[in-house]
Amino acid sequence: MSSMHAGSIGRKPGIAGMFDYRTRLTISLLAPVLLFFIVFNTIPTLWLLGLSFYNYSLTSGMPPEFIGFRNFVQIFNNRNGIWFDLSRTFLFVGLGVTIQTSLGLLLGFLFWGSKAMPGRRIALTMLFTPMVLTPVATGTFFRFIYDPDFGVLNSILHGLFGMQPIAFLTNPATAYWSVLAVDCWMWTPFMTLMTLAALGSVPKAELEAAEVDRIPWHKRLTLVVWHHGKFILMLGVLLRTIDSFKTLDLIIPMTKGGPGQATRLVAMELNKQAFESFNIGWSSAYSVLLLLVSIAMTSVFIYILNLRRRRRA
Amino acid sequence: MKKFNDSYRGPGLAMPRRTLLKGGAIAGLAGIVGAPFINRLHAKEAHPLAGKKIDMNILGIAGWLPSSLGVKMSPIFADYVKERFGYEVSFGFAEAPFSDLFQKAATSLATKSQEYNIIISDSQWLGALAKPGWILKLNDVIAKNKELQIDWYSNTITEAYQVYPDGSKDLWGLPQEGDTIALFVRKDMLADPKEQQAFQAKYNAKLPQTFEDFENLTMTEFEKVAEFFTRPDKQLWGTAMQYSRVYDFCTCYLYPFMWSQGGEVWDPKTGQVEGILNSATNAKAMEQAKGWLKYQPPGALNYGIAEEIDVFTQGKVFSCFQWAAVGLAMITPQNKDKVMVVPPPKHGTGAAAKRIYTVGGQPWVINAFNDEAKMRVALDFMKWWYLPETTLEFAKRGGNPCDKATLSNPNFDKINPWGRAYKYMLEPGRSRDFWHDPKYSEMLALQQEGFTSYMTGQTASATQALDYIACGQQQILHDEGVAKTAPSGKCSSVSL
Amino acid sequence: MIAAKLRVWSYYVLLWVVSIVFVSPVLWIALSAFKTRNDILATPPKLLFTPTLENFVHLFARNELWRQVANSVVLSLSAVIIAIVVSFLAAFCFSRFKPKGTDFLMFLLLSIRMLPGPAVILPVYLMYAGFGWKDNHFWLILFYAMFSIPFSVWILKGFIDGVSVRYDETGLVNGGSWLHVIFKVVLPQVKPGLIAAFIFNLIFVWNEFLFNFIIGGVATQNIPYALAVGTYADGGVAWPFIACLTTIYIIPPIAFIYAFQKYLLVGMTFGTVRGEV
Repeated sequence: MSSMHAGSIGRKPGIAGMFDYRTRLTISLLAPVLLFFIVFNTIPTLWLLGLSFYNYSLTSGMPPEFIGFRNFVQIFNNRNGIWFDLSRTFLFVGLGVTIQTSLGLLLGFLFWGSKAMPGRRIALTMLFTPMVLTPVATGTFFRFIYDPDFGVLNSILHGLFGMQPIAFLTNPATAYWSVLAVDCWMWTPFMTLMTLAALGSVPKAELEAAEVDRIPWHKRLTLVVWHHGKFILMLGVLLRTIDSFKTLDLIIPMTKGGPGQATRLVAMELNKQAFESFNIGWSSAYSVLLLLVSIAMTSVFIYILNLRRRRRA
Repeated sequence: MKKFNDSYRGPGLAMPRRTLLKGGAIAGLAGIVGAPFINRLHAKEAHPLAGKKIDMNILGIAGWLPSSLGVKMSPIFADYVKERFGYEVSFGFAEAPFSDLFQKAATSLATKSQEYNIIISDSQWLGALAKPGWILKLNDVIAKNKELQIDWYSNTITEAYQVYPDGSKDLWGLPQEGDTIALFVRKDMLADPKEQQAFQAKYNAKLPQTFEDFENLTMTEFEKVAEFFTRPDKQLWGTAMQYSRVYDFCTCYLYPFMWSQGGEVWDPKTGQVEGILNSATNAKAMEQAKGWLKYQPPGALNYGIAEEIDVFTQGKVFSCFQWAAVGLAMITPQNKDKVMVVPPPKHGTGAAAKRIYTVGGQPWVINAFNDEAKMRVALDFMKWWYLPETTLEFAKRGGNPCDKATLSNPNFDKINPWGRAYKYMLEPGRSRDFWHDPKYSEMLALQQEGFTSYMTGQTASATQALDYIACGQQQILHDEGVAKTAPSGKCSSVSL
Repeated sequence: MIAAKLRVWSYYVLLWVVSIVFVSPVLWIALSAFKTRNDILATPPKLLFTPTLENFVHLFARNELWRQVANSVVLSLSAVIIAIVVSFLAAFCFSRFKPKGTDFLMFLLLSIRMLPGPAVILPVYLMYAGFGWKDNHFWLILFYAMFSIPFSVWILKGFIDGVSVRYDETGLVNGGSWLHVIFKVVLPQVKPGLIAAFIFNLIFVWNEFLFNFIIGGVATQNIPYALAVGTYADGGVAWPFIACLTTIYIIPPIAFIYAFQKYLLVGMTFGTVRGEV
């Protein structure tokens, strides 16, 4: 994306005065965001960093005790099964985003040619509904739907296939996948939305030119559509990855991390340590670890995005 | 002047005398008629808060009947203090479910806020709330106010709802609701002659019928009954227990298997868990508890309190091990005449058979950061709560009081269908509480994970799960300084 | 001819089936809102039943409900509006003036968004507890605004980048101030971006539970909090309550998505398209 450097505007005589105004304008435009950032982000993060070197439990009644890197050493030693949680979470994110993107792409393409369909708006709204449900309510209700005693899913399976009730959420073999399924149900519409947007970002002129040139449809896909739409799609994948890593509200009503540890994800364990056991020092160290992980993930994505942007420009 | 005084004194003498006589007659009449209400019609006491208006907040347990009863009865308190002491109180309520309540209370109390002035706490949290000094220590308060020096039904009450640390004399809470585990059974199914005949034919034994039958029943004998009533094709199962990972549900229903057969969960004096929790007795107890799943509906692994209510009121199970406190919810207008509440069975056989079940219930605790006015109101509230008429009203609405006077009243058993079973399990030695340790939340989460991991089959052996839990808890207690010894060497290699 | 028409119509039917499959759990919840408790728990589950409005009656009789609804609305709207205003100004600056550290700041903003809720809220909780800002509408709104800023900045920057600089030049040359350029020239052209950012962030704050639970309190309870807390009622799991409240609560976001669908689709292109999608 080429852009003219905005400094070329406003170069009037009396540049000294203009320059100050420009700087002042820049600062005043950025000031609110910077203020927010510093108060709600920088300061808490520094505090977090500081606390991670202490042994501090809110309920022990004792003041924080400086212990240096001990928390981090314990993390390294897999205390509380942290690395298992991380790997479970990465698997969850990876599988989830892959399924959601593939399905989303499929549905996006499916809906792309339906401009003339009667009630398209309603159909699309229905499609997007899963995204808007409160995760707390979704989790609770899906627990009901999966329930072996009263749930509708087991009734359908029994009616159609004569199967015995499956305890989806308490059977260690099925719990993880059941939760993943709900996550995919909720967020595939988001990827569909992004696909539609990505397809819409393809300049119509080029598409028509390709048609006129009788380029076969699969070449049209790769040369024209993919070339233009991948930026938005990548952005969608990035956003989804970010949010998937944080899954918490959905899982707690469904399984609370169980059975055993099968659905225990990183956010849940952190929540438990920080706000149920009140091990503030330990949770801070955990959070610092997660911060590093998320910075690493974001960097990778931004690098890929910039690559594309630079290549385009 | 003098004349005026004299003439004034004249009628002045007569009036008081007549008024005195009238007053005396009225007082006497009122005394006779209103004897039970005498303390209300008592002349307004001088009270430092008279004429003021105070806002109080109670933090209760969402979706828990006894807690909401405590909350619903607070307007009666407001009327009482207005009449008696002349000040007005208005109550605000906040609630959180069991699994989040400690979180809510702690995040508020940690900021030394007066957001919640009176809290209905679960009995296990006494340590976690007392150690940082968030709640008021009640020894002095109780010593100064004899209305709070109550004869409790058994020392189980004191141990469960008041004392921290275990074994000391420090008191931190006052019982709000007493609770024990009871067995709710469908007596209509037991009384059915066809069932009785079939049972006799199959097992050559009689179906238990009365409270006394169940008093003497052992788990082995009860297993036959449960098996008899497990008919999945008719959508009926023998029993239901709690196995859910949430909060303390699985633990509370597993502990009885362990305790009743001689197992222990820790040594309170040394804080030692390893070697005690992961004993062979406890492993066997866990296997037994898992074995009972075959008499329960397929969703049993997820059962907590609410799910059991759902399943029992929908008629899917013949019996249900459940807290007496939710009796009101278990016994609906639809199944009112069909339900009997009895003590849960003993474990073991013969003369050595005994029953030790988990004690539930909640104490009132008072925020230590209340200002003077709110503290005064809180104390008045406690004193009012233990008045005989309040306790009786509480029982009538479905609550479980804890004082000897109310429980020993011969009419107590008739107030609620579960009253008799509740009292039975309150006898010394029949119900026990968890550790009141401040780290209870972490220890509980750990063992919930381990227990449910075994129950759902994710961990194949009970010993493995117990080792994992014992090692983890030993580490927690050792870090805290309560346990003298560190976890042993084999702990570095245990996992679920 | 008929074969072609049949193909088109079976294509439409397929799309409708897909949409219905996706929305069916939500429909199940909505259906349950009209059932009595016994109907909800009936096995096998009932599709045909006598509907009742008693759940809604009970719901509206709860006196905390109105405060929770009001809180939900106020918290969401204020937070998102503040976030959009702040983000728009910042995005304009990033796009036009490209101060040093733009990329770094954009990156940082995004990575904060990546942290799980408890990690974010832990130090904020300690901070709020220390300053006494817990259970305070103002500070809760500001925190929600902070959380909405990253996404808004990214979307708006994309759109503003797509507005040709010539417009700015024209505006300035014609004697307008920068303020005029920002609000009268550029702002109207990025409407889809604004609307998309508004809707997405609104939905996020609308459904947000954890932050409200930890740093909110009695005065700032919102509906997700009510849902979490009200899951267990006196008589077992409160299915009627959950079904009812969820159904009502989902109506505003759905209405938004229906009404502004066109903008949403354009908005998610992050500025590469400014026409129809």
